[in-house]
Amino acid sequence: MAALWRSKVPPNSPSLEEARKRVFEFFKLASRSLPTVMDIYNLEDVATISQLRSTISAEIRKNAHIKDPKVIDMLIFKGMEELENIVEHSKQRHHIIGQYVVGRQGLVQETGAKDQGLSPFLKNFYKSNYF
Amino acid sequence: MMPRLRVSCAAAPETVEKVSTIVRKQLALAEETQVTGETKFAELGADSLDTVEIVMKLEEEFGVGVEEENAQTITTIQEAADLIETLQKK
Repeated sequence: MAALWRSKVPPNSPSLEEARKRVFEFFKLASRSLPTVMDIYNLEDVATISQLRSTISAEIRKNAHIKDPKVIDMLIFKGMEELENIVEHSKQRHHIIGQYVVGRQGLVQETGAKDQGLSPFLKNFYKSNYF
Repeated sequence: MMPRLRVSCAAAPETVEKVSTIVRKQLALAEETQVTGETKFAELGADSLDTVEIVMKLEEEFGVGVEEENAQTITTIQEAADLIETLQKK
C-alpha cells in the first residue's frame, strides 16, 4: 500500500491556498497515526502523543516562510515519505527517539525557521574566518 | 424567571472548561489570560496550524473524529465544545 502511495505523485497545487490545505491534511494524517506509532515503537515511557504532535507542528513551522506552492508540495511529499517509513516500521525505536523526542532539547535541528532568525554575525561566521 | 439567552443545544460548561484547559496548554497562555466561550483562537495568538493542532488534540482527548467541513467552522472555544458534544452524542 505504501508503494501505491508513492508511485502516483499528486499533481502540483494550483495555488498557495491549495498548498495550505494539503499541509493541514498532511498534519491531520500524521496526528491520527500517532497512536499507532506510539504502539509500534513502545514510546509510552519517553514521550506523549502531545509531545510528538508538537514536534510535528514545529517541523512544519520551520518551513512556514515558504511561499512557492511547488516547494510546499515537495516538502509535503518528503513528509509523507517519512511518515510512511515510520508507520510501516521501517525505522527503529532509537531513530524515532533521536529524531523526534530527544531533539527537542538543544540539538541543532530544533532551531527556528531555517536561516531566518540567524544574526548577520553568525551568518558571516559560518561563511568564513575573515570578516 | 431568569431569561435564558443560550440555545438549548449549547455545550455543557464542563466541556467548555475542558476545551479551555486544552487550549491554554497548547498555546502556552499565561495563567491570568481571560478565556471565555466566545474567545477566538486567533485572538489568543494561534495561527492556522495552531488551530488544526488544537482540533487534533480535542479529537484525541474526547475520542471523536472531526470531519473536514466541521473543522473549518471552528473559530471559538464555544464552537469547539458544541461540535464535540454533537459528535459525542452520535
